[in-house]
Amino acid sequence: MTFRQFAYRNVVRNRRIYAAFFMASAFSVMVFFLYSMLLFHPAMEEGFVQEIASTGMMVAEFILFVFTLFFLFYSMRAFLQARSKEFGILLLLGMARSQLQRLIFLETMLIGGVAIVAGTFLGTVFSKFFLMIVEELIQLPDLPLYFTWKPFALTIGSFASVFIIISLVAPLFIRAGEVYDLLQGESAEQQAYSTTPWRAFAGMALLVLTYTMAVYATNPYVVRIIFVLPAAAVTGTYFFFSDSLPYVIQLFRSRKRLYWRPFWLLSLSEGVVRLKENARMFFIVTMVSTLAFMSVGLLASLTSFANQYRELNPLGLVYKSYPGNVLEQIHVRQLTDELNDKDIDYNVVPFRVLRQKSSFTDKNVSIVRVSSMNALGYTFGYPPIELADGTAMFLPPTDSSFRQLNDRNVRTKLEMSGLTVDISGAYPHQLFPPNAIGSNAIIVTDADFERILSGPDGNSATQFRYYAFNIRDWQETKDVGRALHEDELKSILLSGETGTLFSFGNPGLNYSVIRTTFSLLLFMGLLLAAVLFLAAGSFVYFRLYTTLDRDRRQFAVLRRMGITRKELKKIINRQLLPQFFIPWGVAFVHSAFAFLALQVIWDALAEISIAKELALVLGGFAILQISYFYLIRWRYLSHIRTPE
Amino acid sequence: MARKIVELTEVTKIYEGKVMHRALNRLDFEAEAGEFVAIMGPSGSGKTTLLNLISTIDLPTYGRLAVNGIEPETLNQNDLALFRRRNLGFVFQTINLLQMLTVEENLVLPLTLDRVPVADMKRRIADLADKLSLNDILSRRPDELSGGQAQRTAIGRALIHQPELILADEPTGNLDSKSARDVLELLSKVNRTAGTTIIMVTHDPLAASYCDRVLFIKDGEFFNELYKDEQRRTFFQQILNVLSLLGGNVNDLSSVRLP
Repeated sequence: MTFRQFAYRNVVRNRRIYAAFFMASAFSVMVFFLYSMLLFHPAMEEGFVQEIASTGMMVAEFILFVFTLFFLFYSMRAFLQARSKEFGILLLLGMARSQLQRLIFLETMLIGGVAIVAGTFLGTVFSKFFLMIVEELIQLPDLPLYFTWKPFALTIGSFASVFIIISLVAPLFIRAGEVYDLLQGESAEQQAYSTTPWRAFAGMALLVLTYTMAVYATNPYVVRIIFVLPAAAVTGTYFFFSDSLPYVIQLFRSRKRLYWRPFWLLSLSEGVVRLKENARMFFIVTMVSTLAFMSVGLLASLTSFANQYRELNPLGLVYKSYPGNVLEQIHVRQLTDELNDKDIDYNVVPFRVLRQKSSFTDKNVSIVRVSSMNALGYTFGYPPIELADGTAMFLPPTDSSFRQLNDRNVRTKLEMSGLTVDISGAYPHQLFPPNAIGSNAIIVTDADFERILSGPDGNSATQFRYYAFNIRDWQETKDVGRALHEDELKSILLSGETGTLFSFGNPGLNYSVIRTTFSLLLFMGLLLAAVLFLAAGSFVYFRLYTTLDRDRRQFAVLRRMGITRKELKKIINRQLLPQFFIPWGVAFVHSAFAFLALQVIWDALAEISIAKELALVLGGFAILQISYFYLIRWRYLSHIRTPE
Repeated sequence: MARKIVELTEVTKIYEGKVMHRALNRLDFEAEAGEFVAIMGPSGSGKTTLLNLISTIDLPTYGRLAVNGIEPETLNQNDLALFRRRNLGFVFQTINLLQMLTVEENLVLPLTLDRVPVADMKRRIADLADKLSLNDILSRRPDELSGGQAQRTAIGRALIHQPELILADEPTGNLDSKSARDVLELLSKVNRTAGTTIIMVTHDPLAASYCDRVLFIKDGEFFNELYKDEQRRTFFQQILNVLSLLGGNVNDLSSVRLP
């Protein structure tokens, strides 16, 4: 048996321990590879969406890379500690330290190499599938499967360097102490019973403080504390796992009436040991899960923003022309021609919007005529409204302002023209995007409208003309008016916002950009979160595995003492459940509060609620985590039950 | 004639595996209530198998076995577990206290499984702690105990639910001579005062000399039986004689320690 064979056999025969670790590594290699497939895709070169996609990919790759580095680093250390007895024997048999280092290097490179090959292979196999999903998401005509050396080189290069770094650094983790210490193995766990009360309280206090601040956050205030909160939450979480939780359990243990019950005695005492052993791991898992929840929840909420887009933008296309715009008729003709060319049904209603100063509010008010409103309303299928001369109606700028304005009765004199109108009620439907006509707008009768025009200063009363295109198949218009859009951009670049005498809006195009960007980001975020979850789970599994011998002995004692299978299961449930769900639950609470704080900002941006998306995302994660729990419990139980 | 608490009739135990192994061969054995019996024999003679069968964690291949009048074969896994929990107490060589529990918690563990009221548990602990002089170490953890203290705790755990039968596997195997003597005296005191039946597997002739009766087995079969003498010293000498007759390995005869 050569030295290399020895290393090989070490790995292959310990495959049950290495399985979860290997799986997590291979999976992250796979996802990394898929991302780079997209990153280097020849069709991904131009356009806004593509730019977002490739930047997103780059960020995701980077996060994945850093995370994998940490994950491997931490697991490797735990692995080596768990095997310290074995290393002790090797040193006792006269192995030199340098040889031990070489052994570890070979083993790590073996696992790493196989994980890279397996991950890249799986990535290649699934890449067509992946590209098809992305194609669907960003609505590209075709993302053909392609092969160049670049994604392979990036993936293999990055992960090879990670594994080399890890395997060179890992041997330093082996305690430099005496062979005897190594032979004693992992018995260092017993000293871990004490907790520091002040840290326990500090942890609780920090968390409570962060939560209250998140709940009572108001808009300007959030922006100020947004950098303090995460830091406080991170510190609080660390203390929570290292001290607060053990401290609470210790308190609980002194309450014999509660504690001396069939399963609590065993599971709690075992729990506190596990907690102390794994506090750092729980902390990392919690922070990672919080991040995953947050990013996915945020992206999901952006997607929900896109879904409410149509309600906010009921019109298909809008064209706005200010006085002095000589191209007005040409532009409108251009748009209608394009729509006709593409066979898209449309109704266009031109609005002339006047401006007058209201004596009542002393502010400018925008004025449209009732016949135009009714013409546009007709295309939506709404009944016409009737107004008498001398009366007017509010045109609410947003949906939520309708209720306030509807009950209002105002008599105002329109200065300049000298016309007096009684304003009562509000137009009951939203036909325009928010604030399109003006934040302060009213509808008057056609006769009154003419009176303003023919009154004093009537010529300068015109504020702008507004062409409202009502298009049923509004998502079809994303290619309409591209030239116009470019003209507008050029004009803004040349003469600034005020010098540009027209503006053109295409909600169909905006919607498709927003939707594809968000769904792409969401998709990538979900993949990333899946990797993180798998890694966290594999860590729990590995930890269980390293203490398997001890646990087995313990359950052998319990079996003699007379514990039924059902009771054994109950005890194991009570031991495993917290390990899986406490970090997860804390992450859950963390992100819920973070969303509460974010909702404040978000609500101000647009009137949407993210509760549904969040429930969906968290539900999905819950299912994932529960199935992982059952999988690992099944393995663990079958290992525990088979005697050594 | 006292009630029989353990009865084995022509019990054979065969371990099937890659190599078939007959651990016990047509062994007859019985223990009466209140007896203190030692089982001796060389390594591989089937002592531990015998103890496992009586513990009901293993079932005989042939023959009849009854513990406290109950045949383990007739019970399902669940009832067996309950039976063990209520009727048997165990003391092992490797002391097998649960590391994460304090002495007190280790003691009440069997009771918590049966949902005994807390007041009851406290009363029993107070009783036992006096008897086994555990009062000073109740709140310590197993890794802070000496070998003797740990074994006393283990005996306490075996006694707390007042079982009818205690099974001990080399209870003095890891102890120094002073602690070993303490433990043995404790066991025989429990046997005399509470009338608990004790069956103890041991290598140590001195430990065996504390018993009422010693059963010798060899290669899974009955070899000899000795009854207690007036004098422990002569009983000890007789045990040594049988052991030398048994042959076995030199290692199986521990050095002579006179009481």
